[in-house]
Amino acid sequence: MPAAWPDKDDHELLALVQDGSSQAFAALVERHTERFYRLAYRYLQNKEAAEDVVQDAFLKLWENPALWQPERNSKFTTWFYRVVVNLCLDFRKRKRPEALNDEAAVIDEREPADKMMIREQEQEALEKAIDTLPERQRTALNLCFDEGLTNQEAAEVMGVKLKALQSLIMRAKTTLKERMKNYL
Amino acid sequence: MNDNRDQKLDNLLRSRRLEPPGANLAQRIILEARNLPQAPNSSLWESMRQVFAEFHLPKPGYVLASALVLGMVIGFSTPEDSRLAAEDNSASVQNFLSPDEALL
Repeated sequence: MPAAWPDKDDHELLALVQDGSSQAFAALVERHTERFYRLAYRYLQNKEAAEDVVQDAFLKLWENPALWQPERNSKFTTWFYRVVVNLCLDFRKRKRPEALNDEAAVIDEREPADKMMIREQEQEALEKAIDTLPERQRTALNLCFDEGLTNQEAAEVMGVKLKALQSLIMRAKTTLKERMKNYL
Repeated sequence: MNDNRDQKLDNLLRSRRLEPPGANLAQRIILEARNLPQAPNSSLWESMRQVFAEFHLPKPGYVLASALVLGMVIGFSTPEDSRLAAEDNSASVQNFLSPDEALL
């Protein structure tokens, strides 16, 4: 069983991974898998696909640890969020026709019988509405609301200025409010 | 009214459902990695990339630098003989002119 190495920060672990330490890699994977899975799931809305993307991302890092260049990236997680987002976007491009679920596209607007149903319908409508947002707006929303990143951190992940990120979120929310008006 | 809608949308966004990952996802990744070899850390290509990344010249910079290097290479590769021949020619012209000039 690999040691968790709580005393080592991400950058120290990455330096060890670059020297070929599989234990350091294991510690890094155990530390961050869930966080990056969450982000991938938000994009792909599918457990298996999200797991595959996270696995791909970590294996790329293992196979080519020189991809991580500490002098060019301030934080491992910021850089790796970007890696995962890019893999998710590639995945969506490749799988788009099958990924779209026609049943989910039909929103039942009848008065639901109980709270559980209302909640399910709200969630379904929300996911559908988010799915139709432009790529960058969706990324901004996912990073800020799901990952709990500050606007500044999310801006760094996306490589945009803070103002641009705030504007992306504002536009995304305006669109969502419009599309979700029956539920808000 | 609008604030209410904003608040409700924020709440909805914060409570999106999430299917948890398989319990052994991390272990699966670790096991998979054990079967994969690591790429060597500093291949020639990687070193070249690092050098270029270090200088990070814009494209016109590359063109100018290449032109200068090319110019220097051509300059240095000019055969010695041709330079000597040029010097010989000028010397013989001097020889030819000097008697006439002497008359003046």
